[in-house]
Amino acid sequence: MASLLVLVSTGACRRQPSSESPRWETLPQAEAGQLRPLDAFERIEDRGLRSQALFLEASRVFFHPRCANCHPDGDSPFQDSGGQPHSPPVTRGPEDRGVVGMECAGCHQDHNLELARVPGAPNWHLAPRTMAWVGKTPRQVCEQLKDPARNGGKTLAQLVEHNAHDELVGWGWNPGAGREPAPGTQAHFGRIVAAWVATGAECPGEEARP
Amino acid sequence: MTTLKVRVNGEDKELDVDPEMPLLWALRDVLRLTGTKYGCGQALCGACSVHLDGQVVRACVTPIRRAEGRSVTTIEGLSPDGGHPLQRAWVEMGVPQCGFCQSGQLMCAAALLAKKPQPTDADIDQSLAGNLCRCGTYTRIRAAVKKAAGLPDGK
Amino acid sequence: MSQPVTMTRRSFLEGLNLSVGGLALGLGPTLTEAEARSKVVPTVLKPNVFVHVAADGVVTIVCARSEMGQGVRSSLPVLIADELGADMARVRVLQADGDKAYGDQNTDGSSSVRGVYDDLRRTGATARTMLVTAAANRWKVKAVDCEARDHAVFRRGTGESIGFGELVRDAARLPVPRAEDVRLRPRAELRNVGGDLPLLDGPAYVNGTAVFGADIALEGMLVAVVARPAVVGGRVMRFDATRALAVPGVKHVVEVPAPKAPYLFQSWGGVAVLAENTWAAMRGRAALDITWEDGGNETYDSEAFRETLLASVRAPGEPFRQVGDVDAAFARAARVVEAEYCTPHLPHAPMEPPVALAWVKDGACEVWAPTQHPQAARTEAAQVAGLPESQVTVHVTLLGGGFGRKSKADFVGEAVYLSKQVGAPVRVQWTREDDIRHDYYHTTAAQRLRAALDEQGRPTAWLHRTAFPSIRSTFSTDVKGPVFRDLNQGVLDLALAIPNVRAEACEALAHVRIGWLRSVYNIFHAFSVGSFMDELAHARGMDPRDNLLDVVGPARHMSLAELGVPKLPNYEAPLEKHPVDVGRLRGVIERVTELSRWSERGKDGRALGLAAHRSFLSYVAVVVSMKKDEAGRARVDEAWVVVDAGLVVNADRVRAQMEGSVIFGMSLALYGAITMKDGATQQSNFRDFRLVRMAEAPRRIHVDIVRSEEAPGGVGEPGVPPVAPAIANALFALTGTRARDLPIIRSHRV
Repeated sequence: MASLLVLVSTGACRRQPSSESPRWETLPQAEAGQLRPLDAFERIEDRGLRSQALFLEASRVFFHPRCANCHPDGDSPFQDSGGQPHSPPVTRGPEDRGVVGMECAGCHQDHNLELARVPGAPNWHLAPRTMAWVGKTPRQVCEQLKDPARNGGKTLAQLVEHNAHDELVGWGWNPGAGREPAPGTQAHFGRIVAAWVATGAECPGEEARP
Repeated sequence: MTTLKVRVNGEDKELDVDPEMPLLWALRDVLRLTGTKYGCGQALCGACSVHLDGQVVRACVTPIRRAEGRSVTTIEGLSPDGGHPLQRAWVEMGVPQCGFCQSGQLMCAAALLAKKPQPTDADIDQSLAGNLCRCGTYTRIRAAVKKAAGLPDGK
Repeated sequence: MSQPVTMTRRSFLEGLNLSVGGLALGLGPTLTEAEARSKVVPTVLKPNVFVHVAADGVVTIVCARSEMGQGVRSSLPVLIADELGADMARVRVLQADGDKAYGDQNTDGSSSVRGVYDDLRRTGATARTMLVTAAANRWKVKAVDCEARDHAVFRRGTGESIGFGELVRDAARLPVPRAEDVRLRPRAELRNVGGDLPLLDGPAYVNGTAVFGADIALEGMLVAVVARPAVVGGRVMRFDATRALAVPGVKHVVEVPAPKAPYLFQSWGGVAVLAENTWAAMRGRAALDITWEDGGNETYDSEAFRETLLASVRAPGEPFRQVGDVDAAFARAARVVEAEYCTPHLPHAPMEPPVALAWVKDGACEVWAPTQHPQAARTEAAQVAGLPESQVTVHVTLLGGGFGRKSKADFVGEAVYLSKQVGAPVRVQWTREDDIRHDYYHTTAAQRLRAALDEQGRPTAWLHRTAFPSIRSTFSTDVKGPVFRDLNQGVLDLALAIPNVRAEACEALAHVRIGWLRSVYNIFHAFSVGSFMDELAHARGMDPRDNLLDVVGPARHMSLAELGVPKLPNYEAPLEKHPVDVGRLRGVIERVTELSRWSERGKDGRALGLAAHRSFLSYVAVVVSMKKDEAGRARVDEAWVVVDAGLVVNADRVRAQMEGSVIFGMSLALYGAITMKDGATQQSNFRDFRLVRMAEAPRRIHVDIVRSEEAPGGVGEPGVPPVAPAIANALFALTGTRARDLPIIRSHRV
């Protein structure tokens, strides 16, 4: 569900964008549950604006409940699609893996369970607080992702690799039990993140929304 | 069907079962250890809690293949004679009502005390958050955990 | 209805593995001396045993009520043991099978202690009398020169004693004394009754050896999981079992016939998958391909029905309680206070879902089940098996909770049906989803309350309209709404000192299968009345405690005339023995407000709520304290319960029941409900049907038991009804807004 927003440049860009260049809002509507094809971004001639637009597209994945639910700002993950608290109640714990008796891996397996409706993927755990996305803007998430102090010490290349291939990340597109998957596919998402990095890994303005 | 080797309550067992069969049913239906209970099948109630290499898992959703080559402890193996401090505190303080949830409560409380011998109220609330009790024995459980830990129960 | 105490037939003892040489007494029709001694007893008799003393001194006491956490096994045997003078350390307790010879075994209605109290005491006293007589004969002294205590008979004045075991051979040869020759001990001599007694099965509960319904397995047993129609009255149109039968371990797929209204204890019907283990059966069920036809109730929508119930109480109903002239009083009222309250369907959701094991073989049927009503289970099993009841045995396991669900024998009938179909022992295992979706739901209700106040703010009239589909709809068709006796629970017996009163029952049709849930109709009658009392207090500008005491009026036994009813069902108890005793009601209100420091409410943010209710012949008052947590949710942080249940047997179990009732009442007040759309239940497990968890339980629950020698009242249920209104009233004190619809989470952050 793409909504067209005004991309406000608040001085975050280093160069003045070409006034001739198409912008984010000129992109075709995304199909429901899909990510926009890469070549759609080609029409944004300005490299900086294209980079920001690619990030905004990627943020449709970051903010999707399948991903954001485990990137909470507090000590508990969410469930479903409306920010409902995880049931049973679980707490982050010192290593983001739950507290004694309520460890994530105490219930979540390395694959989805259909009869029990419990989602699963290898290494199931909460993203550390530095990687909290809930309540953040796309710009704030962008800055977090680029900051090795907050992204688990990753280079941009490692970030691309992580997004494109990590199994827990990949769960977002294969959530099981009738849960709505993140838009597109992990491979497509990986290409968008790679294209964002290739165009300079620019962060969108503070007001920009996908 | 494959043969899986699992150590249960200190004894080596060989199980010829579907590797995806939840540990709960391997314990109950195959090994006839019925102290671990079925309450919900979706890891929501905690009645099926056992230890896998000392860590709590919900047996109703843990495939038996995950226990292969590892050690499982059930309520029957919590102590040789019912003498675990938690078991004694539970009996002294009359904690159980219908008793059905108590195997799970004890296994989770035991894991908690093994990691945190002096748990706070918040520790108890968080670690036992997954264990439902329809009879409502929560306040006695809290008091019994503290008693077993040698803490003033604050009553 | 007291039955005479009789000697037990030898063969009955053998069946229970009790030694024939001991002394065994039960309750039953009178035997002549000759009959009692002979080996052949007339076949019309159905002897039983409640107490057996063996030659080695072991005393076996039979518990004929089901243990579901209310502590009946830790209470009833004590009545016999104390009368007898037995040492509980040398007593073992056996669970009775379902048999009419035991009298009423239906463990429901908070009636175990109060129902058998006299009979069990007499049984113990009779055994004591016979043992004392045997000792007196041996010493050649009078019976009064002897006393029975500590598992032996002592000769007064000397140090001599003979252990019970040594006396049984002689005692068993004596005629059973008549009731008038048996003296009950004075109350003071009952050593254990009334104390904090140990939990009999405690060790078994904590070491995993306690035997519940699914813990028994037989050679060759199959486990069955049944696919049931989503809509009440739905049925199988067609099904394909090919993929189910392909699941390894699955042995049979069998259709279970749909029930015909009225539903009674018939199975819901559907398609059963039978397999070698539970996992295979569950997988098999998931692989079934079934087309259902809905059968007529597919339009039921519980939200829409709420409006139907409200419309029903907004029009006059059938008056069942009348004093004075309510309409005239409203006409001249200075002020009118009115409010409407709605409560949803609720499931029982015991931790142990329904399960039963049956084996139909060679013209007989044996059942093991966690049943609250073993005799109803026996009748249902016999009917389904097509066998006489004499060929059906029902063994009662421990119950992992009941709350009324397991009085219904439907799950037993299913096991019997399937066993008969496949010729093997069959355990039918209900999953949690089955339990939540296909329960006998607590009924949904709407209440409308109106009070008239005069110039001085005194209440002059009280009108209560109640509408709910009645449980009777499960047992007969053409039930249009509540009848007179349905209002017994919290409407007809409500203490009021108001000159004009009317209570009306308004129509409501049933669209689901309805059953009785812990405290039943008291749940919504107490919620509405208890909340309305608080609303009245605020309208009058009075302290809610003072208002409540003013409205219930002075200590007195309310006559039928004062109540405004021609008779009172009164939980099947005679009014003379169990009056509507306002003094006892006032007593628990005064005590609970004293304990909770009611006069300090409002100070330091203490938001307190008060409610009191009479049900099952007991009186309970509750105060809860609510606070907001860091996230701004209203939480119950402390609760006080005062219970007057007359004479209690095991004070610790009474206390536990009250603690549990607070949690049970909190769950129904705050969180969980069953909603139905298109005829089907929307909830399925504990994620969408929410119960109170550890972190939500109050820091402290204080329970005070009023010491009383009045006839025992109920304990299992009476703690529940006052909890929800106390919470609603505390919430009002905390937030200034009132919740009139349950669960409170609909309208408030809790």
